[in-house]
Amino acid sequence: MNTQATNTVEKGLIDVRDMGVVFGANDNEVIAVKDVSLNVQPGEFVSLIGPSGCGKSTILSIVAGFMAPTSGEATVDHQPITKPGSDRGVVFQQYSLFPWLTVRKNVEFGLKMAGVDAGKRDVTARSLLDLAGLLSFADHYPDQLSGGMKQRIGIIRALATSPQVLLMDEPFGALDTQTRVVMQEILTNIWQQFRISVLFITHDIEESIFLSDRIYVMTARPGRIKAEIKVPLPRPRTAEMTATPEFAALVQKLKGLIREESLAAMEPELKSRGLAGFGMNVGPKGVGEIF
Amino acid sequence: MFDKQQRMKTARISLVDTQADYGKTADPVVTKNVQPPAAQAPAVPEPVGPEVEIGALKMKPLLERVTREQVVTALLACVSIGALFLFWYLGTKYRLDFYIRFKNVPTPYEVFRQAVEVSSSTKFLVNVGFSVRRILLGFFIAIAVGVPLGLMIGRYRRVRDLFMPAIEILRPIPAIAWVPMSIMLWPNNEAAIVFITFIGAFFPILLNTVHGVHSMDGVLIRAGRCLGAGEARLFLNVILPGSLPHIFTGLAVGMGVAWVSLIAAEMISGQFGVGYFTWEAYSLVNYPAIVLGMITIGVLGLVCSGIIRLCGVLMMPWLAFAPGSKK
Repeated sequence: MNTQATNTVEKGLIDVRDMGVVFGANDNEVIAVKDVSLNVQPGEFVSLIGPSGCGKSTILSIVAGFMAPTSGEATVDHQPITKPGSDRGVVFQQYSLFPWLTVRKNVEFGLKMAGVDAGKRDVTARSLLDLAGLLSFADHYPDQLSGGMKQRIGIIRALATSPQVLLMDEPFGALDTQTRVVMQEILTNIWQQFRISVLFITHDIEESIFLSDRIYVMTARPGRIKAEIKVPLPRPRTAEMTATPEFAALVQKLKGLIREESLAAMEPELKSRGLAGFGMNVGPKGVGEIF
Repeated sequence: MFDKQQRMKTARISLVDTQADYGKTADPVVTKNVQPPAAQAPAVPEPVGPEVEIGALKMKPLLERVTREQVVTALLACVSIGALFLFWYLGTKYRLDFYIRFKNVPTPYEVFRQAVEVSSSTKFLVNVGFSVRRILLGFFIAIAVGVPLGLMIGRYRRVRDLFMPAIEILRPIPAIAWVPMSIMLWPNNEAAIVFITFIGAFFPILLNTVHGVHSMDGVLIRAGRCLGAGEARLFLNVILPGSLPHIFTGLAVGMGVAWVSLIAAEMISGQFGVGYFTWEAYSLVNYPAIVLGMITIGVLGLVCSGIIRLCGVLMMPWLAFAPGSKK
């Protein structure tokens, strides 16, 4: 399946090279991202996982075109990224549907901006809504929908302009666990239909394994790529796969990698205060001694 | 209304989620084989039964409650206005003199007679017409200037840096204080009064528009840009509709201040207009006409803010579903 995808899909190569991001200036300088190189091959599903504050969302913002890196470069299909555009669909963590537009008009928004005529827009929007199982909600307003429905519409809205890549910034972060699992399955289905490159940001280990072909693990700030892990699970993925030993082994492996980083991210705080405040009898020497 | 839609929504969500989640795994055939037919038979209509029942049960009290609430609302409105009239009537009937003096205050009947009298000629209507025209002119110029400028100030830092200092100095000056300056500035009285009305409406509209842009969720602007909206389209398709609720707050406040400013201007410098009518009545010792003028101003203000509210509901249908909007 995977090789087939790479054979048929030619566009949608995300390439990030030696990227560094520094916020602030002089004394207040914060190095958010350092020497990050990563790529997403055409049609590939790649996750970026790491502790909070590691700069994974910053990387996505750069690929989306919201900000420029301090050093290094990011390209999509060898074109440097300069500004946001409908060639890169973005799904945000927060619900980002326009509350003043009906569901259908939301899905049509990108096409309208591209100058597609109303008839064609309507046809595309309806077929996408049908795909997402939300055709009967076409004339509802976003505030009438549940969180899971809003995010499904967020995804198909991003896909409506037929982008080459889809950038997803913890899109299911605000959903409850059950909805999340369903949404992951829906997303794999949609991804397989569209054969589109996906860069997926998450801090959920199971989610990243279930969805991805490859996973980049990031270090705590300053964010660097700590490891690159291939997910050899076959496609199409099903919920039952999460119970297999292969899946469990991958979870363990990633958990180990992430835990080191989460601790590293917390360390300055723990060092100054000690863990006594958390009910643990540990002095301010550091966390190394307890774990 | 809302409850009904909310319920429909929940019902549909459960339907969709069932299909998505368990559609593949659910196997009614297996259940049929395991369970005896007797137990199976009532099990089939069960999922439909309670839903319909719940729907019917909830529907009835909902209708009753809404009508009862409307009746209560209407009753209280009558009590509210009735009390006002009763106080007025009793005060004038018994010539109340308890620090405030009702000695010269006309009775409701005298005012009514005055209303009948003025309606026999077009003079009063001409006055009303003048006031309404001034309000509309001043108010729409305030919208035409205030909303675009507010959007620009809200969106661009440099525009804000350029305009806000001047605005912050001019803003605390009440429109009434503009009356002498306005008479000097403008070539005729009419333009001067429209200008004062404009000043009254302008600042609330402008500042609420700025606030509307600032309080917009940044993710919506980012989403708009990702979907290919350039700056001009972003303004029209995202920033303007996103700020619309606050703009309408500005319009409602602005309309109130516009009336205050207009009446003051008409009283001081006017020829024609309801404010002029009221002040002239005082000068001519025609007390019933004072009250008639006051009531006219109140009714006109009410009608204007009602029209704005109606426009708001028509132009922003989505607000009916916005969280926190149901009261």
